[in-house]
This record gives sequence, C-alpha cells and structure tokens, in this order.
Amino acid sequence: MTVTRTASVAGIGLLPNGTYSIPERELAIDVIHEALEDAAVSMADVDGLYMPSPRPWTKQKFFSTNLLHLLGLEVDRTIEVSTGGTSGGKAFQTAVSDVRSGAVDTALVFAVERNSVIETTGPYFDYILSTFDANFESPIGMSIPGVYAQSMQRYCHEYDVKREDLAEIVVKNRDNAAADPDTLFDKPVDREAVLGSRPIADPIRLYECPAPCDGGAALVVTSDDGDGSDTSSETEGTVEVAGLGSHHAASHLLMTRDESITELPAVRKAAREASRDGGRARDEIDVYEPYAPFPHIEAIITEELGLVDRGAGLEACLDGRTAADGEFPISPSGGCLGRGHPPMVTPLYNYVEAVRQLRGTASTQVLDANYVLTTSEHGHVNGATATVFAKGE
Amino acid sequence: MCETSYTERFWEALSDGRFLIHTCNDCEERFFPPAPVCPSCHSWSVDWIESNGTGELYSFTRQHATADGFPDEIVAGVVELDEGPRLLTAIDEAYADLVLGDRVRVEPREYPHNYDRGCRSEYPFFAATTIDGDE
Ligand SMILES: [Zn+2]
Repeated sequence: MTVTRTASVAGIGLLPNGTYSIPERELAIDVIHEALEDAAVSMADVDGLYMPSPRPWTKQKFFSTNLLHLLGLEVDRTIEVSTGGTSGGKAFQTAVSDVRSGAVDTALVFAVERNSVIETTGPYFDYILSTFDANFESPIGMSIPGVYAQSMQRYCHEYDVKREDLAEIVVKNRDNAAADPDTLFDKPVDREAVLGSRPIADPIRLYECPAPCDGGAALVVTSDDGDGSDTSSETEGTVEVAGLGSHHAASHLLMTRDESITELPAVRKAAREASRDGGRARDEIDVYEPYAPFPHIEAIITEELGLVDRGAGLEACLDGRTAADGEFPISPSGGCLGRGHPPMVTPLYNYVEAVRQLRGTASTQVLDANYVLTTSEHGHVNGATATVFAKGE
Repeated sequence: MCETSYTERFWEALSDGRFLIHTCNDCEERFFPPAPVCPSCHSWSVDWIESNGTGELYSFTRQHATADGFPDEIVAGVVELDEGPRLLTAIDEAYADLVLGDRVRVEPREYPHNYDRGCRSEYPFFAATTIDGDE
C-alpha cells in the first residue's frame, strides 16, 4: 500500500515498572484507558488493535479477542506479534502502516507483561532455552546474558576496549532514570557498584543486565490529514511518526556466518531505512532511545547509527557525548538498563519516551528535541526495528 | 513418538565418534547445522562431510545463573571449525584456563545434564576441549 497520510501519536499511557498483583488484562484496560484519555479519543473511535503476543506463561490466551469482547470493541484490524523483543516494535509499525494507508483511522497499540509471576530458574529458563536451536543448542543450557557475555568479550578483544569502562554506560543510564518515578530504580549506581555486583555470565555483572519486571504501555496512533477528524491536535503538541525501518540478518542468536558478533547489521539497516523514510539522516537526530539490553550493545549501536567509528562507541559515552546534554544524547530515559525491562513493553516505553521528549515533558529532558530515533531488537540483535518521531507543526 | 528428521545422520555419526557438517556442491560453502539448502548460495545440492572437529575458540563465557537440571556454573562458547562454520558448544575446561583463539576439538560425549532432549535423549551430545597448537 502507498503512503497517503501522516500518522501521529495522539496519546500515551504508561504503567510504572514494578510488580503488579492483578491479571494482565486488567493492566491492559488501565493503560488503554490512560492512553485514550490522553488522546481525547473515545473507545468507539478505535478501529485497530495491535499488541505483542502475551508471554507464554500468561494465563489468558486469545488475549486480543478476549479484550475486544470485554471492551465492546469492533475493529477492522487486530494483530498479536510474537518475535521476542521486536514484538512491540512490529505491532506499533503495523499500526502506523495501517493508519498511513487508510486501513484504519484510530489505532490502539499496547503491551502488558508480568515477569514477577514466573520462577527464573524453572519455566522461564525453559522458555529461554527453547529459543535456541532445539537440536544443537538448547541442551547446552545457555542464558541470554550468556550470549551477550560473548559479544562483550569479543568487543573488548577486537577494539582493545577496557572492560571496566563499560560500567560507565550503566552509570549514565541509571542516572538518567533515577529521577523518573515510572522506572524500577530510584537510586543511581556508581562504577564500583556495577563492577562489584555479582557475576551473571563472565564478564557480565548483575547491574549490566536489564532487570526483569512488570509493566505496560499504550499509544493511540491517528491520521493527521485525511478526513478532517484530526484528534491529535486537541492534545498538547502533535508527534508525528515520521519514519519506519526494519531488518533481520541471516543469523540466529550468536550464530552469524562470516560477520563478527560485534556488529549489528539489523540495527544499521533498520535505522538507515527509518531515516530515509523520515527524511532525516540517522546521525542527525536530536535524541536516541535504543533497545540496548547490555552496555556494550549501546556502544555498538552508537557505531551502527553512524555517530562514531567502529570501536569508538564506549569512548563517546566516557567523553559525555551521549549524555542528555551531550552532542548526541542516548537513552535519556535510562533505557532498559536504567528503567527495568519487560521486553514486550520496552519498545513501547521507547515510543512513550520519544513522545515525552518531543512534548517537552520527559523526566530527563533534552533541550530543543525535534527528532527522536528509537529501536527494538530480539535475539542477539538478529532482528531490529527503527522508528523516527518528529515534532509536529 | 519420535519423527525421523534430516539431522538423524548427524546424531548416528556422532554415536560412532564422527562429527558431520555440510558442504555445498555449487559454492563449496561448509556449514552447520546441517540443512537441505546452502545458506550461502541457496543451492539444494548439498552433502554431508566429516569434520575432524578441530578449530579455534571464538568466544566463551562461564555462566553463573543456570536452569534447573544444570550445574550452578557452566562453561560454553563458540568454536570456529577449521572448515569454516561456527557452532555453539559446551566446553569441558575450566574457565580460567581458556584464552580466545585456543585450539580446540569438538567431540562426542555422554550428555550430562537433566534436560529433556526428547528424541535425542539416547544419543551422545558434544563438547569442546583444548588441544595442542599443532593438532
Ligand atoms: Zn552454496
């Protein structure tokens, strides 16, 4: 379908990261309510529902169908996406495409997730093992930090990066998130605390892993132009979804072929496409909110975005260039390391942060933010999405 | 009930102490895991070949958080076989003794963990050990 309309985020809703003792569908109803109120859109206007598939341990299956019945909502499009950490990104991008094409006028995108209800060494780990090659890899017993530990090792090895310095990316991100009541942590950490936290998968330490938690987020996407029923202008400042990009490399977790595992071509190509679509070069964006679950991944993404040369991503952080008041702010929200990390929700948190930055209401606000680029990823960044947001007129 | 899969031959050979990979008859790419199509040129003309299992240690970790049925610590990593392909493998060595680029051999061994391998539960699995540089 051809692009005929501009899609905008009319409203946002967010449940603070933490622990919730109510079912996922009630979290969904809460966060949807908040987003609709923020957009000043009524439930009856919604004609598309987009979400990541609930995690395998969520009791309610057929989640969207159940929810549509509860909400008394008839829609023309629904989708539940199941591709790990990119699920929320793909759900959102599908909604944007449907609004652009005219298939729907008011798209509701949401994600909810509870990790507090699952035993990490039992059923959760069984699920993780099942994401590896079932024949040849699952029986080895590798965890996700175990995977990223190896790219951290290679990154330090190939670029002569000082492993201890990677802790500074965590320090920056925890610091960025500390003042925001919606995040999991309310205190920053220092370098010693990061390097002194317990080892999870050498060389990765606990504070270098994103903390699993419960949470939820929702966004209402509408059309700016089109039939004149523009709802987004009624709220404080319109935020355009300017550019979409997506890519998947021919790789699975650590199994690339000739490429180094210290390169993330999916991010590079998705960001390039989103920038082209959004009319703004990927290294000329005001704020970056990447999905970067481990510190060296944020460093490598800095490189893949074309902001610095290969191997110089960490140095950019050490020099303050990625700070909120730096040359190219990265993760002013704290990202998944600073905020806490429900992976189905994290891409939507990035979008909510983009909207807040462009509205001027972010907890750690970047001055004069007009463009924000966000990413999502799954596996060992085998697949990625990139989305550019722009301040509306 | 267990289905017979394409990789059956790998597991049968592994039981006999041989490590099989795949080669493409059109572009000569060597690849793993075995599959009926070449991931490099997409030719369907592919064959089984034997690897002597030797290669270099590309990356490794010692995991301190493990699943039920596994020991409290496991050592695993990626080996680049001399024929080219990389694979993820358990490593039967102490973490502190390993260095990137170590010469290693991937060999069959009895599967040691309490993890349900389903149809493969009767077969050995594989692990890497370090070998002398000139092997
Ligand atoms: Zn070939």
